[in-house]
Amino acid sequence: MTAAAAVAPRGLARIRPRLRRREAVLLVLVYVVLAVGGLSLGMTRTGEATVAGWQLLVTYGLALAFVHLAQTLAGRRTDQVLLPAVGMLGGLGLLVMIRLPQDLVTQDVGSLELGLAELQTLWLCLGLGVVGVLAVAVRSDTWLRMYKYTWAFAGLALLALTFVFGIDQGGARLTLVVGPFSGQPSELLKVILVVFLAGYLAEYRPLLASERTTLGPVRLPPLPYLAPMLAMVALGMGVVVVQRDLGAALLFYVVFLAMLYIATGRAAWVGLGVALGAIAAVALFLAFPHVRDRVSVWLDPFADPLGAGFQIVQALHAFARGGLFGVGLGAGLPEIAGRLPVPAVHTDFPLAAIGEEMGLATVLGVLGLYLVVLERGLRIAAAAADPFRTLLAAGLALVVGVQALVIAGGDLRIIPLTGITLPFVSYGGSSILANALVAGLLLALSDRGIEPPPPPRTRGPIMRALRGRGT
Amino acid sequence: MSARDPGMGHSITRTMLAAVLAVVVVGAGATWWQVVDAQRLTSSPDDAANIAAGRRVVRGVIRDRDGRTLAASRRDENGEPYRVYPGEAMSGVIGYASRRYGSAGIERTFDAELTGVRDPDPIQDILDHLDPSRRTKGNELHTSLSLPLQRLAVAQLGKDAGAIVMLDPRTGEVLVDASTPTYDPNLIADPTADPDYFASLREDPAAPLLPRATLGLYTPGSVFKIVTAIAALGSGAITPETRYAEQPPAEKTGLLVDGYRVRDGHHDFTQPEPLALAEATEVSCNIFYALAGLATGGAELVAWAASLGFGAPIPYDLPTETSQVTDGSGNAPGGFVDRVELANAAYGQGEVIVTPIQMALVAAAVANDGVIMRPRVVTAVVSPDGSVSPRPAEVWLRPFGLDVARPVREAMTLAVEGEYGPLFTSGAKVPGVLTAGKSGTAEIGGDGEPHSWFIGFAPADDPQVAIAVVVENGGSGASRAAPIAGRMMRAFFAQAAK
Repeated sequence: MTAAAAVAPRGLARIRPRLRRREAVLLVLVYVVLAVGGLSLGMTRTGEATVAGWQLLVTYGLALAFVHLAQTLAGRRTDQVLLPAVGMLGGLGLLVMIRLPQDLVTQDVGSLELGLAELQTLWLCLGLGVVGVLAVAVRSDTWLRMYKYTWAFAGLALLALTFVFGIDQGGARLTLVVGPFSGQPSELLKVILVVFLAGYLAEYRPLLASERTTLGPVRLPPLPYLAPMLAMVALGMGVVVVQRDLGAALLFYVVFLAMLYIATGRAAWVGLGVALGAIAAVALFLAFPHVRDRVSVWLDPFADPLGAGFQIVQALHAFARGGLFGVGLGAGLPEIAGRLPVPAVHTDFPLAAIGEEMGLATVLGVLGLYLVVLERGLRIAAAAADPFRTLLAAGLALVVGVQALVIAGGDLRIIPLTGITLPFVSYGGSSILANALVAGLLLALSDRGIEPPPPPRTRGPIMRALRGRGT
Repeated sequence: MSARDPGMGHSITRTMLAAVLAVVVVGAGATWWQVVDAQRLTSSPDDAANIAAGRRVVRGVIRDRDGRTLAASRRDENGEPYRVYPGEAMSGVIGYASRRYGSAGIERTFDAELTGVRDPDPIQDILDHLDPSRRTKGNELHTSLSLPLQRLAVAQLGKDAGAIVMLDPRTGEVLVDASTPTYDPNLIADPTADPDYFASLREDPAAPLLPRATLGLYTPGSVFKIVTAIAALGSGAITPETRYAEQPPAEKTGLLVDGYRVRDGHHDFTQPEPLALAEATEVSCNIFYALAGLATGGAELVAWAASLGFGAPIPYDLPTETSQVTDGSGNAPGGFVDRVELANAAYGQGEVIVTPIQMALVAAAVANDGVIMRPRVVTAVVSPDGSVSPRPAEVWLRPFGLDVARPVREAMTLAVEGEYGPLFTSGAKVPGVLTAGKSGTAEIGGDGEPHSWFIGFAPADDPQVAIAVVVENGGSGASRAAPIAGRMMRAFFAQAAK
């Protein structure tokens, strides 16, 4: 033993660097795509062989490498595909932000005025920091497991705060402003929801999977346990009513049903959930004009191509102009009177920008990347040591996958358009940081070296309360 | 592993399969828009790339039949082109092309030609697509429209809402396609004009942006009797000599059809002799036409109307609404609810709704011996280098022959030239020219004044022009539409004589 090792602190002595070859190779692939994309954009812009926004791309690349190195040095045995997949999505998003007009979003930081791509780089680097810290430092899930009701109340408090202090933007109350900071609470709420549901479902899944109630031909679990489900429908509708945020409501509800199905293995639950969801959807359709507007624009956007249907019609035109391989980065999105053809392209329609300039091939690639993220997450779930971790990992992966499908489906007029972000790709601090939280937790959960779960508890506080006595 | 019970692996696999399925659906959606439906979207005038090209490319001039400018381009202080128009008269047909508000009318349907996105020469078209910078100037459009006649039409309609369509039945060339109220396309196209103007047009309850001649749907009233006459003669349900003994007594009591009374009673002077087709048309006898319609039957009436262009949009140079004989909600033959609806439809009430251009084509069909030429406004596309691609006359429909055309033409001539006809078509006659026509007073229910209609053609023995006039809430056909049609046709012949 050398002298240097001898003086090293006791705790660090056990950590041995572990090569992550697969991750390194995949990250090189990401770098190649970013370099080619930047070069392509630079050549379109200047006609010379320059890389557009190279400082930003290099910064982002370094941040990715940092997360890779941190995990390598920490010797964690975490998943090696997740970081490159998420990194590729973030990188494609960054290329789009570099390509878009920089004054779409500006913010003064001290004496600096930062534009769209600079801010997105900042968010991505902060996000990767979150991923790195969680992947390296989280070695126990007790803090999530033991306090599920605390998390639930935190989520409800967040919702209440948004209702009281939220700012209406574009007909939706999505933004919460606290001092100099503003954010979209529903992005954080989705992570809290998954943590709560994982805890709740892990505890009650044996009961939920049993069949004690028959409703005609339908055999259902004991009715008292329908309560949380109805509460979830109420929460979903609450989100729509309070925040006018249809996308988040749909996301929460679909993720809830999927986790319920994974926990119980009962398709009847899903059937019942879909039926209740459909009834709620009809009620919302009848009660709220903004829901009706969304649906009628979805059914026939070409009826009013200059008015209500403008955004989606222009997005569909953008997809159409792209064709199979795109018109090339920087060569599309023709401006009309100095304005981009698709409003909110950086938040709601980055997929349309990708579709126009990089083609159907890249759109399918992006969809494939979400499938990869989902597959890795579900793989981590299947290999997890106990039901809580299984449900947590599955829920986290689903939150990303379902959100991507909801907004991609809206962009492509498969379902009504809702204003949620494309995870890791869209511009926005709340979205990037919340999804980084998801990716970081998934990485931490993927490590087989994580602390073993505590012995399972069969009855929780609600059960004890229901029965009127402790165990 | 031991703590995990075996159930969840299975449901996780199924969840993954569901996700793969969802991604396949979304991917199929992307493929639809980016490949399958891409051509339609990228050649549309709403496409941002085409709008952007429109800022650079100088749109071609649009001219009337005598070479007068109907739309031209000017450059603003930034050197970007914008459109100018000779006043409001052509607003319903030529429309507008604006950087800010998109386009309408011929400016919209011929956007690709006017901006040069589509070249009439296919080889040139491919070259242009390979190198878009070649395109700096669009093609010129030559039309069959007449600016002075169109201005007269708009002036005749005055403050009333309405439409006038005038065309050459021998060629399908449209001379007048007027809709009122008009709007000033200059105030939409000019980049320095007040932006509130377009918003005020969109919100105006009088709907000036609606091109009534092609997209307006009206109850036709008695002008529809010409369609019934064609169907009844064509199907063999009546001959020109058919008379109904029950017709004269029904003039007083009403004609009882399944418990409902079809009323008439506005031509007491013809009693007591039963009327044949020509006299019944001359005095616009509802009872005769109700009986002829019932004899023809619902299925035949709908089929004959379809042979005249009803039931589908017209292949015109502008989008058209679909004219109908019935809304098809019933189970009786042809989609009528019952014989009462059929009897009412036969004289243009019930659920009959028509576009003015469709009724002009009905008149043109009779005028042109049962051959309907495809109506068109644009007669030629002229490329910047001067090469002309004509859009020649072509036959659209051949619904009937001389055996039908001749008696209907005689009936319509009697309706203008006969002893009693002028009571219903006063002012339609062109002095010195044998004129044919039919007026209509379309009851619209409620307290509203009826729509005033006239369709016709002249000269009756050698037709050169066919016309349809509708004045919304204009009262009886004789009071508003017939004199307007007479003045329009008179102006046509005066101009032709020059």
